[in-house]
Amino acid sequence: MFWRAKAAVAITFLVPIVLIYLFGHVFGLYRKDSGPVGIPIAVVNLSQEPAALKLIEALKAEKAFRVITTRDLGNGATRPLTEADVRAGLHDNWYRYALILPADLLPDDAFGVRMKFLFNPRNEIEAQTVNGLLQKTVFSNVPQLLGQSLQKRARRFLGDERFERFNRTIANTLADNFGGDREKIYQQAISGDLGFSELNRTEAGKTPAPPPGLRRLDAAPAPNGPDAQSQSSKLEGQKSAAAPPQDQKSSTDIFSQMVKIETEQVAGKEVKNPMAARLVGGYAIMFLLMAVSASATTLFEEKNSGVFQRLLSSPVRPAHILWARFLFGVILGLVQITALFCAGRVFFGLDIFRHAGALFAVALSAAAACSAFGMLVAAISPSAAAANGISTFVVISMSAVGGAWFPVSFMPDYIQTVSKFTLVYWSVEGFTDVLWAGRSLLEVLPTIGILAGIAAGVMAVAVWCFNRGKLFD
Amino acid sequence: MLAFCNVTKRFGNITALDDVSLEIAPGEFFGLLGPNGAGKTTLMSLAAGLRTPEAGTVALDGRPVASGASAARRALGLVPQTIALFPELTADENLRIFGELQGLRGPELRTRIDEAFTAAQLTDRRHSLVKTFSGGMQRRLNLVAALLHRPKLLLCDEPTVGVDPQSRNAIFEYLQRLNRGGVTIIYSTHYMEEAARLCSRIGIIDHGKILALGTLDELLVQLPFEDEITFPVDPATAPLVARLAAEGEITAVDGMHRFRPRTGYPLSAFFALTESLNLPPRLFVSQRPTLEALFLHLTGRTLRDA
Ligand SMILES: Nc1ncnc2c1ncn2[C@@H]1O[C@H](COP(=O)(O)OP(=O)(O)OP(=O)(O)O)[C@@H](O)[C@H]1O
Ligand SMILES: [Mg+2]
Repeated sequence: MFWRAKAAVAITFLVPIVLIYLFGHVFGLYRKDSGPVGIPIAVVNLSQEPAALKLIEALKAEKAFRVITTRDLGNGATRPLTEADVRAGLHDNWYRYALILPADLLPDDAFGVRMKFLFNPRNEIEAQTVNGLLQKTVFSNVPQLLGQSLQKRARRFLGDERFERFNRTIANTLADNFGGDREKIYQQAISGDLGFSELNRTEAGKTPAPPPGLRRLDAAPAPNGPDAQSQSSKLEGQKSAAAPPQDQKSSTDIFSQMVKIETEQVAGKEVKNPMAARLVGGYAIMFLLMAVSASATTLFEEKNSGVFQRLLSSPVRPAHILWARFLFGVILGLVQITALFCAGRVFFGLDIFRHAGALFAVALSAAAACSAFGMLVAAISPSAAAANGISTFVVISMSAVGGAWFPVSFMPDYIQTVSKFTLVYWSVEGFTDVLWAGRSLLEVLPTIGILAGIAAGVMAVAVWCFNRGKLFD
Repeated sequence: MLAFCNVTKRFGNITALDDVSLEIAPGEFFGLLGPNGAGKTTLMSLAAGLRTPEAGTVALDGRPVASGASAARRALGLVPQTIALFPELTADENLRIFGELQGLRGPELRTRIDEAFTAAQLTDRRHSLVKTFSGGMQRRLNLVAALLHRPKLLLCDEPTVGVDPQSRNAIFEYLQRLNRGGVTIIYSTHYMEEAARLCSRIGIIDHGKILALGTLDELLVQLPFEDEITFPVDPATAPLVARLAAEGEITAVDGMHRFRPRTGYPLSAFFALTESLNLPPRLFVSQRPTLEALFLHLTGRTLRDA
């Protein structure tokens, strides 16, 4: 009795600690730099600008992204991605974000930078985060791009010869007056390095804001940037662009006016509330797991009450009892999922009718997998109390890891790997595929297959355990 | 009808049944009397084919029960020791489920259920949830639920625990009626009165062994005395105790003297003695020895505190 009580106490303390530890991993708390890692993002570079390559390099340097620029053609060959490629890729969920740097990245007809951001918003948090990170990366590279844009326009305005001469003169003057290598200054000027990059490196708040115009020249010897800036302002009258920002924030504000990122949601355009699909799907699965596990633990009550004895002394066989319980779990699951999605329809306007067939198929396979899980928990547990403990623990962990609450792509790599082994992951995946991406039955068949496979495998193990276990003893 | 042949059943290192051989004839009302942990439920579960023995065979009508086809299972009904019902369902729903699982359908099922409710005197409560029933009501329903398919062999594992005397009598009469109708009954109990009253043949079981087997009379002759007279421990009866010591065995139990005369000692001599001592006859209770006494004789323990 004492030992039992001790074990129970130990469990009540241990379980939360283990769960907290696990959640820590799920939410990536143990990484020094928290935040998403390795979100795939496709980049199509149609532009010839050297700055475009720099931007891609910057994106690659960002840990949050895994930049994909080429398409595998099989036999080891690759070719650069095209816009058509990424649209297909987005639709098929190979990646959810794509950045297109168009041929007119730096348009001739206007000052600024143009790019296109395509996304498949399978989950809103992720989409927002990616958007934010992307902007950060783009804007920290924008000055370069803008400089190029300015130089380009200047060249057109002045003509090649005069433009070159102008830059040379400036460079020479700078070098004569402030020292430095003429050629280097010239190259920098021509490449559009107007000092913004320098400016961007100064962290807001830490160092005093750089003073506008030439005053910066006084402060720092030989930074040709501000000079080029004023030069460009003379040329173009782009006062707003030329006026150096007071701090990082305002510089971003100004840049954002000049950077035209065209955003396009590629898939799930009709979804009114994209977050709801995951939310409802995830919670449906979690509660389903709980309900089904609870239902499976009634096997213990039935055993203890002697109902099993009564049934087994009749023509009913143990297999009948198990399969009846499994089937009951599946039906319970279907009813519960249906109820939750109807609620989702009422509260969030989820479009559950458009792909009712596919949704039903996913729900059925998910319910089967959940029911099998409940049976397994009952099969491996020595008692109803143990089954409740085990199922609570496993359901909560699996929901967290499997992305019922929180997008899997935000989790550390190893958790992402683990999550693929949970039925929660595949169920949520299936639901979002249907409700979000608007996939058809055929397209979600692989997911359904995986869920059905999980159901069959888990049920097989459960039956095996039941036959060896004490339930029918 | 049902034959146990050298059956041994173990749970880990506990031997629940130890080399039991037993034959139940058709139409018998067989009583299995034994204290807690004697092995009664184990014997019942083997008879119902719920468990398989480590050694020996259990056969129903010559066929082993464990591998029993569903026909063999339909021939028997088990009343588990526990309340084997779905508490969240009504009594009617419970009976319908168990009836259907026995293969009963339609009007036949309906009549059987009606009969069952009449027998259990629960007709007015048939649509109540089982969990709202009293313990005795649940017991009665637990019993009739095993009879819907009219089994030839009824296994009753302590079916009257917690039932008030009136309901108990109703159950007894019902079982006796069934038995007269040709149903073979195995009835386990730790109440010797039940076994003595109901059963045509009784097996006394303890520690997994059948200690004695036979009709009530056959069992009681195993005792070295035929009658038992009890009277209060009192100064007035003290002289009597002194005189009786030579005539048989006399012990004091719970404030009562128990006198078991030696064989051949006439009761008339006893009453002549009491009259001479001026003791009123109402002080004395004379009775046949009980199964309790037999159990004590066989095991050295009483049934209750075994
Ligand atoms: N499933 C089991 N696992 C382990 N031991 C068991 C099991 N069932 C019975 N036993 C043991 O077998 C012995 C006989 O038990 P059984 O239930 O047959 O007794 P019983 O005569 O029905 O007692 P009661 O009057 O208390 O119902 C006991 O010692 C019991 O502990
Ligand atoms: Mg018992």
